[in-house]
Amino acid sequence: MATLTDGAVLTAEALEALIARLGEPDWLAAERRAAWRTYQATPFPTGRDERWRYTQLNRFAIDGLELVDAPRDTGVSDRIAMRITDSDAEGTLVLKGGELVREDRRLKQAGVIFTDLRTALRDHEDLVRKHLYSVVNAGDGLRKYAALNAALWTNGTFVYVPKDVEVELPLGAFHTADRGGLAGGRTLIVVERNAKVTYLDEFTCEPLGERLVNTGVTEIVLGDGAKLRYVSLQNWSRDVVQLNTIRAHLARDARLESLTVSLGGDAARAEVEVSLQGPGSESEMLGLYFADEGQHYNQYTVQHHASHHAHSDLLFKGALRDASSAVYSGVIVVDPGAQKTDAYQTNRNLLLDGESEAVSIPQLEIKANDVKCSHGSTTGPVPEDQRFYLMSRGLRPEVAEHVLVTGFLYEVMSRVTLPKVAQYVERVVQAKLGVPGVKEKL
Amino acid sequence: MSDNRLEIRNLHARIAGGETILKGVDLIVPSGEVHALMGPNGSGKSTLAKLMAGDPSYEVLDGDILIDGESVLELEPDERARAGLYLAFQYPVEVPGVSIANFLRLALNARREEGDEVGVMEFYAKLQRAVKALDWDESIIERNLHEGFSGGEKKRSEVLQLLVLEPRYAILDESDSGLDVDALKVVANGVNAARGPNFGALVITHYQRLLNYIVPDMVHVMSSGRVIESGPKELAMDLDAKGYDWIREKHGITASGDAVAHA
Repeated sequence: MATLTDGAVLTAEALEALIARLGEPDWLAAERRAAWRTYQATPFPTGRDERWRYTQLNRFAIDGLELVDAPRDTGVSDRIAMRITDSDAEGTLVLKGGELVREDRRLKQAGVIFTDLRTALRDHEDLVRKHLYSVVNAGDGLRKYAALNAALWTNGTFVYVPKDVEVELPLGAFHTADRGGLAGGRTLIVVERNAKVTYLDEFTCEPLGERLVNTGVTEIVLGDGAKLRYVSLQNWSRDVVQLNTIRAHLARDARLESLTVSLGGDAARAEVEVSLQGPGSESEMLGLYFADEGQHYNQYTVQHHASHHAHSDLLFKGALRDASSAVYSGVIVVDPGAQKTDAYQTNRNLLLDGESEAVSIPQLEIKANDVKCSHGSTTGPVPEDQRFYLMSRGLRPEVAEHVLVTGFLYEVMSRVTLPKVAQYVERVVQAKLGVPGVKEKL
Repeated sequence: MSDNRLEIRNLHARIAGGETILKGVDLIVPSGEVHALMGPNGSGKSTLAKLMAGDPSYEVLDGDILIDGESVLELEPDERARAGLYLAFQYPVEVPGVSIANFLRLALNARREEGDEVGVMEFYAKLQRAVKALDWDESIIERNLHEGFSGGEKKRSEVLQLLVLEPRYAILDESDSGLDVDALKVVANGVNAARGPNFGALVITHYQRLLNYIVPDMVHVMSSGRVIESGPKELAMDLDAKGYDWIREKHGITASGDAVAHA
């Protein structure tokens, strides 16, 4: 098993230089220094760590990388421009190498804030201070990579929806890059009581020709009755390694619908953790991945039922081929007193060849006695009877495979309520399957 | 003699690595004719059907299958389909996420050259004709392939696909089983709509009832992995009235011969 080392990517001096360059308030500098100390004190994950079992840890190595402090240029590529045009998001930001390089904020609703985090720190410091690090922080078991992100993040998005406001236009940020190194971005979403919003994070870039490790942290705070639809869509070039933590706190009757998609990158780790802190809160957690050409995807999920009468429903499905691999590890935790919990967790993997492998580790930790919980996982090849049926109608083997993969992912896709997200995911999947004429349109 | 026929020549086959089921099947279905294949449980009828379509769970030990004089034995299932063979499955599978319309478009385009894809108007006209012939509602084509279909709807879908794909030869594997008389008539009408000089069919059934609606040109009887008797359509009536024993006795086969093959 490979052992990860630091290689002094992030030194105290580098951190101080970053703090000085960003010119942030003292409280934030103090948070960064605290995170830096946590980072230093926390060992790198190993294969013995339950949350990282079966992970190809060496794929997530960071030693020898330089901190990305700015993009080479602030231009927006055709790819990103096309993605913006073709997105469900109506209000958009583009963040590149830690800089806000374009914004289109069509949003005029009273009190709603949608901007990059640096601007938010300048214009809405109190709000940011109240919520930043409130969900992913040192006191809450901040982990190695999350601590690294907490120390070195350079920019991100701030979404704030005041109480009773329903934001009609979906919002989104496009995260891109034009150089290798170690980068960090952060998203903070605060939806107050009975407010509602849809927000998308999309990650993509042109091939870089050098390795980029991108750490991301998304903190989500949902007040009583708040509703958020959140999509994280990762389609980086193959130079990129992604380490992403998405964590949400849900108050009474809050509802979160999340979708985590992994299609690009060389390796990607997504941690999706939901804490149902108020009674009646609900979390739908969808995940979809398609790994090919040796890609390694890794997902870790937590459905933490801290309160009674809460509901969570998780479905992660993925297809794999060309010696690629995936690990799904997830736990449902039900606290004592979280009665009438209703929690489901399903992971299914479709292996398209004999060289790819998927590991699924579903777990339950139930400390209440009046609950409905179930978990299940399956990993297997394409059902031969289905393949034979399709081919018996004249479909060539590769076309039959497209149909079967589409059919396999349909259970997730049919629950995606954002039409352009669904179309784009379908196109990327088709391009990865080699359907003629699709790749050109991406 | 014309080569326009579906021919099975001395076919011996077994479940891959397992028991031998077909022990020398000889059968000819000339283009333009519909033949019935009957026989007791375990006689090898369904094995023959799946084998002809290229089901990889069986292996051929000897003999040949020919379409219009060309052997298809070495062809993959999709190649056989494009060569003009169609199997209406006894148990059609469900494939989520693909509508009947999209699936049939893929299947039709698989039969055509790249760049010569079926036109939208032409495709829907074809589809509408088939839906109408089966007395079905047009919304069916937008439903996912067999997802949530009843047994009867699945059988009807198999015939719908047959009408759209217009194969040279079709094998219908118990397309009548489990159907009430009304559904049976609908399925039979669909098959009859496909009849013509350029279409041949082998209709596998347990029940003479279907043959009241699809009148066969010939009836074959299979037992213990072979075709033991062939005759005019009246043979089906005899079988219905008298069972299979008299015919087995005539050929010196014990009833257990089929039961063993079925085990």
